[in-house]
Amino acid sequence: MRKLFYLLLVVLLCSHDLYIKMETYFLQPDQEATLSLYNGTFERSENIIARDRMLDASVIVKGKRMAIAPEQWKDQDSTITQFTFNTGESGTYVAGVSTKARNIELTAEKFNNYLEHDGVLDMLKQRQRDSVLDQDAVESYEKHVKTIYQVGDTRTDDWSAVLGYPIEFVPLANPYEKYSGEKLEVQLLLDGKPLANQLVYANFLKGAHAHTHHGHEHGHGHSGEAHSHSHSHSDDQHGHSHKTEKEESHTHTSGEQLRTNDQGRVTVNLPEDGIYYLRTIYMTKAADSDELTHRSKWATLTFEVSHKHGPGTHTHDHDHDHDIPTWVFVVGSILVIGLLFLFFRKKK
Amino acid sequence: MHKRSRQALALLVWLIPLLGFAHDVSSADQEILRNGDLWAYIQVGATHMLTGYDHLLFLAGVIFFLNSFMDILKFITVFTIGHCITLIGATYEGITADEHLVDAVIALSVVYKGFENLGGFEKIKVKSPNLLLMVGFFGLIHGFGLSTRLQSFDIGKEQFLAKILCFNLGVEVGQVLALIPIVFIITLSRKHKQFPAFYKAMNWYLVLAGIGLFAYQLYGYFVGH
Repeated sequence: MRKLFYLLLVVLLCSHDLYIKMETYFLQPDQEATLSLYNGTFERSENIIARDRMLDASVIVKGKRMAIAPEQWKDQDSTITQFTFNTGESGTYVAGVSTKARNIELTAEKFNNYLEHDGVLDMLKQRQRDSVLDQDAVESYEKHVKTIYQVGDTRTDDWSAVLGYPIEFVPLANPYEKYSGEKLEVQLLLDGKPLANQLVYANFLKGAHAHTHHGHEHGHGHSGEAHSHSHSHSDDQHGHSHKTEKEESHTHTSGEQLRTNDQGRVTVNLPEDGIYYLRTIYMTKAADSDELTHRSKWATLTFEVSHKHGPGTHTHDHDHDHDIPTWVFVVGSILVIGLLFLFFRKKK
Repeated sequence: MHKRSRQALALLVWLIPLLGFAHDVSSADQEILRNGDLWAYIQVGATHMLTGYDHLLFLAGVIFFLNSFMDILKFITVFTIGHCITLIGATYEGITADEHLVDAVIALSVVYKGFENLGGFEKIKVKSPNLLLMVGFFGLIHGFGLSTRLQSFDIGKEQFLAKILCFNLGVEVGQVLALIPIVFIITLSRKHKQFPAFYKAMNWYLVLAGIGLFAYQLYGYFVGH
C-alpha cells in the first residue's frame, strides 16, 4: 500500500522545491540528528543533490559558521541527501544550503503553467501585460534554503544569522520563542537587502501527524488556494504534471499566500503545533543576456513550532489526552467488581 | 429480573465515562518519541500496554478461563503472535483505520470473552468457537489497534522498521509486567471458597466494561471525540 502510494506520488507529482527537513526540529543535546535535503515536495524528495552543485552548506554554531564538507553528505537512496551530526550543546541553530544556478528551456505553455502553479504570479501577469505568453523561456534557477532547529531548552541567538545567500529568509524573532496560536515576522532578503512586494507561501504539517498520509490524520494548513497542477525543477529537466483532486492535498505548492511589505517582511500565522515551511520564487527577466530569458532565485525556510508550555511538558491538546487520571478508572473498576462480587455472593 | 436489569444498567451508565480513559497515552508520548531514541519506542509501547485497559481486560478474560500455567503460556503466545503480525505488518505497510472503530471492535472482544466465560454460548445453545483460534483472531485485532495508535504518532521515516519493532518489544514488556499481577490474583482467588462469586463478578464486569468501551468508542467516532 505504502509503496503503491509513493509510486503514484512519484508519477503524479513533480514539484521540486528544495527544503532542509528533519524528523523533528526539537532535539536533545549530544543526540545524533540528520538534516535531509528534500528536493521535490516537503513530504517527498525526488532527487539527490549533487555535491558539486552545492555552493555552500553551513551550520551556525554559537556565532561561528561551520562548513559541512561535501564528503559529510550521504545519499540515503537516489532521492534524499543527508547530513548526520551530533547536536552538541543546547541552543537554537541555523543551517543552510545554497546551490549553483542551472538553466532550463521551457516551451511557452509549460513556462506559463509553471508560473501559475508554482505561484510566480507576478511574472505571469507581466507576460500577460506584455502579450508575450506565446514566447518560450530559458530560465536560470538557483535554490537557497535554510532551517532553524532547537537543541535542548536553551534559546540562543543564531536563529537571526544571515548566511549571505542571494536570497534568504531571516526571521525577526526566534521561532522557538514563538508558540502555536502566535505569529512570526520573517524578512526576505535579496542580495542582503529587503525584498519588497514579493509573494511568499507559508504552509505547515501538524507535528503529531506529519509522517502519515492517511485521511483525517493529515494536518496541512492550506489556505484554500490548492493547485491542480504542479511544476518541477529537477536537476536535468523541467517537468509538468497534472494531478487529480485526490492528490491535490499532497502537493504543498500552495499555503498561506503572503506578500512582503516595504521592509521585505511578512507575518506568518502559526495556528497549530507543527513543522512550518516558507517558500518563495523571485523571478526577473534577463534582459542583459543573450542566452537567458529569465532568472529565478528560490528560497525556503523550515522550523517547528510547539505549544506554549514547550516540548518538555505534557499539556498538549491531543485526541488521547484525558483529564481523568488512570487511578479513577482503576478505583471505579474495583468498586464495580466489588459490588458485583457482593451481589453474586449474596445470590448464592 | 427487572430489578437486576436496572442495577446492571445503572452500573453501565456509571462506567461509560470511566471506560473512555483506556489508553492513557497521548501527545505526552509523542514528546517522548520526539526527543528520544529507540528506547523511547520501547517505553511508549510498554506504557501503552500497561494503560491499555481493553487489552488487559481481554487478557484477564483469557486467563480466567485457563487453569494450568502451560495453557496460559500457550494462549498468551498465540495472542502475542497475532498482535505482532498486525502491529508490525500494518504499521510497516501504512495500513490504518479510524482509531475509534478499531477500539470499538477491541471492546467487543472483551465482551466476547466475558460472555464466553459466563457460559453464554451454552445458555443460548450455540457451540462455543475454538478458543485458541478466537484468541489468535482477537490478537490480530488488538495488534491492528496498537498499530493504529503507533501510526497516529509522528515517527518519521528514519529507522522505521526498528522503531516499529521497538514499540512492539515495549508492548511485550508491558504485557508481561501486566500479566504478572493478573495471573497472581486469579491464581490466588481460585483457592478461595468465594471464587465462584468472584469469577462471575469479574466476567460480568468484563461484559459491562466491554459494552461501555464499545459505546464510548462509537460515541467518539460519531461525535468526533
